[in-house]
Amino acid sequence: MNAPPRYELYVLEEEECPVEVIEDTKIPNAATIKVVKQDHTLGNLIRAQLLSMPQILFAGYKVPHPLQPYFLIKIQTDGTITPTAILEQACTKLIGTMVTLENKFKREFSLKDAGGAVADDPYGTGAAGGSEWAQGKDYLDF
Amino acid sequence: MAQESDPIVRIRELKKDRVNFVLENVDLSVANSFRRVMMADIPTVAIDMVEVESNTTVLPDEFIAHRLGMVPLVSANCDEAMRYTRDCTYNNTMDITSNHLEFGPLDDGMDEDGDELSKRPDNFGMPVGKNEPGVPPVLICKIRKGQELKLRCVAKKGIAKEHAKWSPCAAMGFEYDPHNRLRHTTYWYERDIKAEWPLSENAKEEPPVRDDEVFDYMAKPNKFYMDVETDGSLGPQEVVIKGLQELQAKLANLILGMKEPEPSAEEDTFQAPPQPNGTSAPACRRSCCCCMGRVDKHMEYKSRRWTTSWMGRVAGPARAGGSGGWGSPAAGAGGAAWGSPSPAGGTAAGWGDNAAGWKT
Repeated sequence: MNAPPRYELYVLEEEECPVEVIEDTKIPNAATIKVVKQDHTLGNLIRAQLLSMPQILFAGYKVPHPLQPYFLIKIQTDGTITPTAILEQACTKLIGTMVTLENKFKREFSLKDAGGAVADDPYGTGAAGGSEWAQGKDYLDF
Repeated sequence: MAQESDPIVRIRELKKDRVNFVLENVDLSVANSFRRVMMADIPTVAIDMVEVESNTTVLPDEFIAHRLGMVPLVSANCDEAMRYTRDCTYNNTMDITSNHLEFGPLDDGMDEDGDELSKRPDNFGMPVGKNEPGVPPVLICKIRKGQELKLRCVAKKGIAKEHAKWSPCAAMGFEYDPHNRLRHTTYWYERDIKAEWPLSENAKEEPPVRDDEVFDYMAKPNKFYMDVETDGSLGPQEVVIKGLQELQAKLANLILGMKEPEPSAEEDTFQAPPQPNGTSAPACRRSCCCCMGRVDKHMEYKSRRWTTSWMGRVAGPARAGGSGGWGSPAAGAGGAAWGSPSPAGGTAAGWGDNAAGWKT
């Protein structure tokens, strides 16, 4: 009865800040960024993109507890760029990748549609199940 | 992951409920996030509330409610064609007067300002495959002579992170490196690893590993074989495209969140007291029990959007039989909430989130 609504795991609360930047006081050019209401889907994606960038000295992410819907991403750069700036760059690059992928998919789908790839038997199951049902049989009879 | 070349997509098979494709020149993390987002982040419609009027069958109410929740419903264009229950703006109380006594229940409850209805295909919300020849129906329950089952189902929009019934995907194939060239996995075997582990179909796409080949520990997977099978609530094309769009939206929100300045304090009429550990907690913007002591101020803030009846409950005795609030965001305090987005209601009865009736 008193369970919190399940959507609290992925919906930001009213005026809740989606990102929180915690500057590292002991390591130069480093920051820990807390991203709320997100999980491995975004965490691992961003971490991998960051690691591929030459300015990065360290990038890692963790989801501290599976019941708490946020992840932390730790970034250290070589000083030519701030951690937040490079995170933004990484996200922009990833969006670019997604957009190209989306366009490629759309193109492929339209080609397949034109080629009449969706056949007469679209589910690929044959009409066997349906005919059995029409005759008043059920699972027990099989 | 600096891509030397553009990603390549090759669709090998496209059917009404499945698509099989090969993804090349993307990072493992991209392919995996794509998979995750298709499985868990795409909204569909599913039965979420069942009010059982009478059930004399052998199956208990919650059993049937659960089965009903599993039935895939046509959810094409669900992004635009429906709102989440929590986003519905029933933000006013309604005076029930003697004039209403003639009326039947106000059904639907669709917002006047919404244009969602016009975006729905004709069969939106219908069980997948209903009245389609060759598609067997989903068996929910068997009843004998004299038994009765009468119920009312409420289907809601949701995503699979909340409950797997909202996932548009029935199965998702995801494979890379079929020859295990990268040694990301270790096979257990008795005598001969090659004889005991059959290769997958996808192995034909890549050259086998020669025995004299030196292990390249820097190599990265580059080619991903994916097979998206949907339960019919969405088409495979919609799942793929919506999945990519969802990922873009997630990333864009992150960028936006970093650019946004901190929410200014002036806006709030209510500020949470500083936390004992010194960090200033964000102002409490929820009606929750922690604010009970400052309910007057809280209400001031809240009342801009909500007209609730729970002020009365805190300040004095409840009026009119426990104060049923239409769309009240009342938390904890209980009270009948009709279609309310209430977080953690008490003993509510009605059609809201926490109403009596089975959450499937």
